[in-house]
Amino acid sequence: MVSASARRPLAAGVLEAANSGFSPMKVLGIGIPLVYSLTFFAAPLLFLVVLGFWLVENFQVVPAFSLENYLDIAQHMFAQSNYALAIAQSLWLSLSTAFFAVLLCYPMVLAIVYVAPRSRHRLLLMLAVAPFWSSYVLRLFSWQILLANKGIINSGLAWAGFENLQFNLLYTQIATRIGLIHYLAPILIVVLYVTAANIDRDLIQAARDLGATRWQAFRRVILPMSRTGLLVSASFAAIVSFGDVLAGSLLGGGVGNSVLGSVPLFSTMIMTEYASSTNLPRTSALAMILVLVMVLMLAGGAALAERSKVDAG
Amino acid sequence: MNALSDIAPPPQVDLELRGIAKNFGDFVALEGVDLSIERGEFVAIMGPSGCGKTTLLRIVAGLESMSSGRLFLRGQDISALPVHKRSTRLVWQNFALFPHLDVRRNIAFGLTLGRHDKEAVKARVGEIAELVQLGQFLDRRVSQLSGGQKQRVAIARALVTEPEILLLDEPLSALDAHLRIRMQSEMKRLQQRLGLSFLYVTHNQSEAFSMADRVVVMNKGRIEQFGPPEEIYTRPKTHFVAEFVGSNNIFDGKVVDVQGGLIVVQCADAIISAASGERPPGKGSTVSLVVQADKVRSRPIGVAAENSLRAVLSGREFTGSQVIYYLETAGGGEVKMVAQEPFSQTERATINMAMQLYWSPADTVVLRPNIVPGKENMPGRRSYVALGT
Amino acid sequence: MVSAVRPLDPLAADGRWWRAAGRLYMAVGYFFLVLPIATMIVFSFQKGQFASIPGQGWTVHWYAKLFEDGTLLEALRNSLIVSPLAATGACVLGFLAAYSIHRFRFWGRGAFSVLLVLPVLIPPLILGVAFLGLLSRIGLQGQLLSVILTHMVIVTAPAMAVIQLRLGQMPSALEEAAWDLGATSFQSLYKVVLPFALPGIAGGWLLAFTFSFDEFIVAWFVSGFEQTLPVAVYAYIVGSVDPSLNAVGSIVFALSMLSLIGVELLLFPILLSQYGSSED
Repeated sequence: MVSASARRPLAAGVLEAANSGFSPMKVLGIGIPLVYSLTFFAAPLLFLVVLGFWLVENFQVVPAFSLENYLDIAQHMFAQSNYALAIAQSLWLSLSTAFFAVLLCYPMVLAIVYVAPRSRHRLLLMLAVAPFWSSYVLRLFSWQILLANKGIINSGLAWAGFENLQFNLLYTQIATRIGLIHYLAPILIVVLYVTAANIDRDLIQAARDLGATRWQAFRRVILPMSRTGLLVSASFAAIVSFGDVLAGSLLGGGVGNSVLGSVPLFSTMIMTEYASSTNLPRTSALAMILVLVMVLMLAGGAALAERSKVDAG
Repeated sequence: MNALSDIAPPPQVDLELRGIAKNFGDFVALEGVDLSIERGEFVAIMGPSGCGKTTLLRIVAGLESMSSGRLFLRGQDISALPVHKRSTRLVWQNFALFPHLDVRRNIAFGLTLGRHDKEAVKARVGEIAELVQLGQFLDRRVSQLSGGQKQRVAIARALVTEPEILLLDEPLSALDAHLRIRMQSEMKRLQQRLGLSFLYVTHNQSEAFSMADRVVVMNKGRIEQFGPPEEIYTRPKTHFVAEFVGSNNIFDGKVVDVQGGLIVVQCADAIISAASGERPPGKGSTVSLVVQADKVRSRPIGVAAENSLRAVLSGREFTGSQVIYYLETAGGGEVKMVAQEPFSQTERATINMAMQLYWSPADTVVLRPNIVPGKENMPGRRSYVALGT
Repeated sequence: MVSAVRPLDPLAADGRWWRAAGRLYMAVGYFFLVLPIATMIVFSFQKGQFASIPGQGWTVHWYAKLFEDGTLLEALRNSLIVSPLAATGACVLGFLAAYSIHRFRFWGRGAFSVLLVLPVLIPPLILGVAFLGLLSRIGLQGQLLSVILTHMVIVTAPAMAVIQLRLGQMPSALEEAAWDLGATSFQSLYKVVLPFALPGIAGGWLLAFTFSFDEFIVAWFVSGFEQTLPVAVYAYIVGSVDPSLNAVGSIVFALSMLSLIGVELLLFPILLSQYGSSED
């Protein structure tokens, strides 16, 4: 026998007549945002897919159904523009950034949750989120002057007497990573905080009570229970880094030096190619490939996260 | 629906419900509800949670639609009228005052919706505020008011628009006990002064009985009984009402004899006589007998009496001015006895003490199992209906 | 020596080593987070073309130059036109959508909700290309209007989320009371729902404004000669090293902080359900 409350429709402001009818308020309330979203969001995205099949003739975009763009890109995959290498470069950057970002933010969160008094948590989180509110572009500029060869860090070290300790950081991938990690940190801290704060303290107390040292309690209780949160944060960091354009160009110099050599990032490449050729259909095709890789990363991350949930229990 | 249901009721009736039914998917919230309320009447609707009383009230207000039935307000069919066009007004349990408006503007809300004369509105609001003793609070903000004051604002807000009936959904349950009782009498006085019909939903029995002219007892979407409080209390018509209202003892048994205006029933623990009424059940039929706990008395063992029953005291409950005694019969059944003056007995009752209980046949109400028409063979649908009253 | 009144929390890292390590790490972490912003503010008042330590003396020269130059200022002005308008548009769309979801049960309600939130999840680079594709077809690219229209799509999501949060706190009885007293749906919306939702709308506006103000990529793709601030800044950075950027950055930061404080004041009470409701 189904209980009354289970069957009763939610009472929240429901005037039943409005449910089935077409009152003007309902039409406008749903219609206006819907139409706007379809026109200015869904349509452009769908159009993006279509655009990848169009061509440019005489500086005009011409509707067509041609695989020419994709073929062209495939040709350049391993030669000339070397898209494959750019994708590899971006993948390498995003995965390593994600790894370091989580590695650095996690202890920070643990410190907040377990060392700082409960009353200060809100303040600490607010401070952590504060950088988020300043302009990303301008923050990157600050990093530029900090990391430059005669920039603040290096000149400061020299002034303090460490002339020999100079860091050649700007226009390397390390600089890009620094910029990205700084960008991601606020969000990661919040997400990881929620994960860590949800770990039942009683479990940890029980472990300690049974004789575990702090390190053991961490390894056997806290870490396993954070696994899903860590994976989700890492996936998020990787995906955002993959699509990022600014850090790569401003701090990495557009052609970041890394293990793979002097190769631009895929996202930067899309931007510069468009700036130089304004071939929109081709740019769309490239963007589609970007989306494809991102979707794959998302799927991979989700699969890993699911697996970790099952294990952690 | 037959042709009769299309005819509007006579004008002395303020509210009439005909055959109201309400379904939420498969769940039947209300079924076959017929009710009529006369001008100036205070009617309370009472019942356990989930019985449909609030749904019924909201249907009258227009906040829920009904699956079938008709609704008449002062002779007019308002079944299809949307909520904002009805001249019913609802008072909520949690007051539903508008937080961004002060008291004055809250009260004036209903009057300021269309074209209105500012001065007239102001005067009217002042009048109503005096009526509910809110005169000095008109410029306060809602958050500065106490529970009782908020309730009065809610009432004033509803009354200022001169509704044809006032609907109240457990308006006092958000207040504490002392305040509740005071507000009950205030409300009753207000209602009588205005001569306005009140339809008042509550789950609190004493509240319903102290305020209402007539009480509706509901259960599982149906009306079990509708009548003046005394009648509900002393002459329950159905098994449910007997169990739900007041403190009653119910004995089941078979009629063994009918004579001299009495029926004699053989129950598990005793032979009980009851007044037979106009249409007594025949010999051999199964009946239930209802005896109010405060009609049960005790006397020393050995002294004969009508309707006596031996039982052993198993528990006691003090409730302010009364004691409820719980006794166990030889057959394992439970009997409740209520005494008004707990400490007047010269022999203090002790647990496990054997007592002889007795009561008068006139205080015994007879219920006969009655199959609900049209659902003859459905198990569990039998309800007990009183005989001959 | 028993000093604590309450029992010691076994979780408290009472090992001195751990506590100290934790505090040190937090200090370093927060220093890292704050570094670029502090740098920006400090060096906006420093003489010297190239920022370095030790500094070359204090000045307000860069702020003056900023106001003289005009390019960055004009971009700032553009941003201050675009972002408030985008935020306002987003609040209108967001409120309509939030109210509809709150009140009506309709087919596709879940999908509708997802559709409006989706823009936040798509990488801005993709959105930039996509928007440009559509807008150039209908001839609307390269203007400030294009930025306003596209930003509206993106920032509606946070605005709607905040408004939904606030509407969730509104007891259903409030609207019902308005209807019962004779208000039509529209009157109830205007006289009861809107005033109640106001803190949510304001918080949503500030949030939307901040997101739009900082948005670079979409603006880069979609705007033309009239640039928004992030786009102009980017061009500047790529073009030259100019401490005027520090001045701009400081101004922007100050604006964002004001916005943040506003959001804090409006949002946190909502999140903690302390804002006026009709119940006790």
